[in-house]
Amino acid sequence: MSATDRANRIELQAADRPIREVNDEIRAALADGREVLVRDARSRHNLGVGLPSASRVRFEGSVGYYCGGLNDGAMIEIERNAGWGVGEAMARGEIVVGGYAGMAAGASMRGGLLHIRGDAGPRCGVAMKGGDIIVEGRIGYLSGFMAHAGRLIALGGAGEACADSLWGGEVWLAGPAESLGVDARIEEPGAEEVESVEALLASRGLGDSGRDWRKVVSEQRLWHFESRDAKAWLMI
Amino acid sequence: MKAPYEYPFDPPSEDAVAMRDGAIEGRTAGSPDAYDAGESARWSPKAIADVHAMAQLGRYQLRGYNTFSRRMPSFDDLVFVPATMTRLPLEGYRESCETATVLGDRPGLVSEPLRLDIPIYIASMSFGALSANAKAALGYGASRVGTMTCTGEGGMLEDEREASTTLVYQMTPSRYMLDLEHLRMADAIELAVGQGAKPGTGGVLLGMKVSERVARMRSLPVGVDQRSTVRHPDFLGADDLQVKIEELREATGYRVPIFLKMGATRPRYDVAIAAKAGADVIVVDGAEGGTGASPELLLDHTGIPTVSAIRAAREALDECGMSGKVSLVAAGGIRSGTDAAKCLALGADAVMVGTAALMALGCNSPRYLADYETLGTSPGRCHHCHTGLCPVGITTQEPHLEERLDVPGAAERVARFLTAMTMEITLLAKSCGKSSVHNLEVEDLRALSLEASAFTGVRLAGIDRPFTW
Repeated sequence: MSATDRANRIELQAADRPIREVNDEIRAALADGREVLVRDARSRHNLGVGLPSASRVRFEGSVGYYCGGLNDGAMIEIERNAGWGVGEAMARGEIVVGGYAGMAAGASMRGGLLHIRGDAGPRCGVAMKGGDIIVEGRIGYLSGFMAHAGRLIALGGAGEACADSLWGGEVWLAGPAESLGVDARIEEPGAEEVESVEALLASRGLGDSGRDWRKVVSEQRLWHFESRDAKAWLMI
Repeated sequence: MKAPYEYPFDPPSEDAVAMRDGAIEGRTAGSPDAYDAGESARWSPKAIADVHAMAQLGRYQLRGYNTFSRRMPSFDDLVFVPATMTRLPLEGYRESCETATVLGDRPGLVSEPLRLDIPIYIASMSFGALSANAKAALGYGASRVGTMTCTGEGGMLEDEREASTTLVYQMTPSRYMLDLEHLRMADAIELAVGQGAKPGTGGVLLGMKVSERVARMRSLPVGVDQRSTVRHPDFLGADDLQVKIEELREATGYRVPIFLKMGATRPRYDVAIAAKAGADVIVVDGAEGGTGASPELLLDHTGIPTVSAIRAAREALDECGMSGKVSLVAAGGIRSGTDAAKCLALGADAVMVGTAALMALGCNSPRYLADYETLGTSPGRCHHCHTGLCPVGITTQEPHLEERLDVPGAAERVARFLTAMTMEITLLAKSCGKSSVHNLEVEDLRALSLEASAFTGVRLAGIDRPFTW
């Protein structure tokens, strides 16, 4: 970080202070056009919720639940681990988790990028509706459950029931999945698609052309009730 | 000793014994009516038809509307006992009665509690289940009389936000189109963990209603049979819920109340837990609550009746010292101001009407008869919300049907219906000597049946004691 950056940066403590106060200070600093460094995040819940675009926040240590939830464009960096629902319902922006992420990382997110350097817990990308999630490690069981759209990319493979009940969207695996979920199937990715995923990874310093990709998509059998005649639902 | 009796006749022919009562030839004697009607209480014509349907379709039935169960106790099992000698009534036609209703007044947690002119608002029904015209008409009608609507699970529809001066933004487990800007545009946020029509199961929207606009708002492929999740993606139990509620407060600057809507199952415990988790308003939706589509068995066999849930919910809040801090909304099968007044007396701070509001829009009204017939039904009996072929343009996404719902006309009917409901509530309240509808109390009610008394703790008429064991 350059001297100018440092001058433009505000440092504050999370520790055991009221979270409302911490978030108010973060928001005030961002509104002022400053970057924020939050020291001693102490695994506190709800840090940096609903932050605006063109803002930068870094959390030192680990964070609790819903860090960067409802992100509206902020660039958020978490030094170590994140609890449940990191980046849930993010619309735009970028969140980087330096360590591991707990359950439901990126749940129902609609856009932006969530980058987890370690492993992610179960139900990573559950109900996601857009955007990209990159997990350098492995994603837990039921990851991508009922996702609608977007890409969930896991370099270390996946746990059980991967991509269960997908509506749409894609789960990209560069490692093995313990099992596929209901209504999920592996599809051979096209060259252009691979290029796009690799380009995204390369932009994160994770370029490696030697990966053996499996792309998991919806088999679309659950798109409709299994009824012999769909019209039969009409008459009762 | 008496001589043995001598029977004077020779045995008659079987022909002479037969009664000639119109019995079917070849059938043994008996009451033809009884056999024709079928006498098995277990194997009613409906039970038999249900087996036939399952045997042919290989699945359960699915439909909209609400429960057909006749076992549900009714609001009609309760009556008011107005002021007579022990109390003084207010002049029903002349004196005033306060109807203003505040929800979610939690200083320090909510800076803008909801202030409604009446204790009734429009229940959460999604755009998708309802047409955009229906959502707009409900919004304008509610705004006209100083009350509010709720988005339901399909995201915030521009038409509704424009129409509703006060709007509750619902977050269901599916989180369709969950948007920070919409959260901040809302006057309250509702986390839905269940609904009365089908507690414990997610929503259904059949493909016929997943139009392009609906699909876009929900990020779904057009025409899929949408069956929503029932568990929230990022919280499981009450402790997580508490963190989630704090997150929503952080995202909205502690401005708006947070609602928690649940189907009525174990309200005594569920309501206490929701209050402990930090909800400002708890909505308890009884088993009579309507729905756009549901497996029929869930309508008829899950959840407890509204009338029985309200007392339990209020007692739960009393017991944990949250009455006066957390507001209680009752819903499920409320048809009139009379029903609503009984809910208030049982302990609700406000009520929510869904199906009744649709009736005011024109649901089941006798128009477009040929279209009812195509659905195999008729006005007054229609329960085909799930088909998306609503003859009166309410539960449809078909443009040619939707345009049958004239927004200004329908909004006016909703406003008049809500006004009439409010008049009914105040008339009853004043007869009970109350200058505010919120002063109605359990003591103002008596039960007409053992069952109603046992379910609610309301004193039995006559004996004047609650039925207890």
